[in-house]
Amino acid sequence: MAITLVKGQKIDLSKESPGLKKAIIGLGWDDNKYDGNFDFDLDASAFLVGENNKVNNDLDFIFYNNLVHSSGFVSHTGDNRTGEGEGDDEQMIIDFEKAPTNVNKVAITVTIHDAETRSQNFGQVSNAFVRLEDETTGQEILRYDLTEDFSVETALVVCEIYKHNGTWRFSAVGSGFEGGLRSLCLNYGLDVE
Amino acid sequence: MAVSLSKGQKVDLTKSNPTLKNAVIGLGWDTNKYDGGSAFDLDAAAFLTDGNGKVSGDADFVFYNNLKHTSGSVTHLGDNQTGEGEGDDEQIRIELDKVPAEVEKIAFTATIHDATARSQNFGQVSNAFIRIFNEETNEELLRYDLSEDFSVETALVFGELYRHGSEWKFTAIGGGFEGGLGALCGNFGINI
Repeated sequence: MAITLVKGQKIDLSKESPGLKKAIIGLGWDDNKYDGNFDFDLDASAFLVGENNKVNNDLDFIFYNNLVHSSGFVSHTGDNRTGEGEGDDEQMIIDFEKAPTNVNKVAITVTIHDAETRSQNFGQVSNAFVRLEDETTGQEILRYDLTEDFSVETALVVCEIYKHNGTWRFSAVGSGFEGGLRSLCLNYGLDVE
Repeated sequence: MAVSLSKGQKVDLTKSNPTLKNAVIGLGWDTNKYDGGSAFDLDAAAFLTDGNGKVSGDADFVFYNNLKHTSGSVTHLGDNQTGEGEGDDEQIRIELDKVPAEVEKIAFTATIHDATARSQNFGQVSNAFIRIFNEETNEELLRYDLSEDFSVETALVFGELYRHGSEWKFTAIGGGFEGGLGALCGNFGINI
């Protein structure tokens, strides 16, 4: 049965799911139920970083215009523009056996497209969650419901999957930045103009 | 050179450092780099206990409102309310010669002030460490980086100094409680 995480919680994936080879990370949220406002276009992305919490190069930022990492470690399965539909809105696949040696953390993040123009922030998004499913067995290992964990941010670090003492762990972060994609990129060492 | 500890590890303190008189315990952590949410106010404390891990009275709980133990052996060097700055965020000085004979252990702890109201836990604190240095020489004797050793706790026991025969040793604990200060004090025999 899936573990339900709270903000700040860290778990050892090798203990909760021994033999995990490939994981599907599903992210979901509910679109704005009120009339007369812009659609929410949330974009999931991932940053593959090294020991210093920074990317090794620009291609370590996986997003809708860079869907598959050169190593095959992380792939994004595509952009959902309106959040319609039940279940996962966007998904990433993590293939642990392909993790490059200079990457020891994958930060899974979500940003609101055009947040400033549309006057949107994560406080207006409801029922946001991230879940991890074992791709081989289809079993859901963990779920983190983050809706109460943020308010005025426009870029969110949902969770981090990182290597510690040789095993992969999952950390429910649920914190972010008011500065949108830009702040997020700067945090992970990506140059933005 | 400082010994780097892992959770559960026990090391000699005075045996390897025979001239050590005053040890300063430094505790540190990084402030939350994310926006939104409240500032973290972590409070370091020490509990002077017997061999069973229980205090003999409330005065054996040294913290920001009880900075100096009656024996003079344990002094809390003051409250840091935002965690700003490099190095130790809070420090506790131990004068080993003055520790009362009936005190077998001194536990070093930290709690998050107002954790429930601020929705905070130690999983959101990064780069937490405890270190011991010789006050006279400033030499760092040991360090324990505990950031991966906890997640949803709101009160943590970083480590303990304890007597072993005529010597003092240190054990890296890195375990805690979800019940905050209440659970921590209860653990050491103080009802609040």
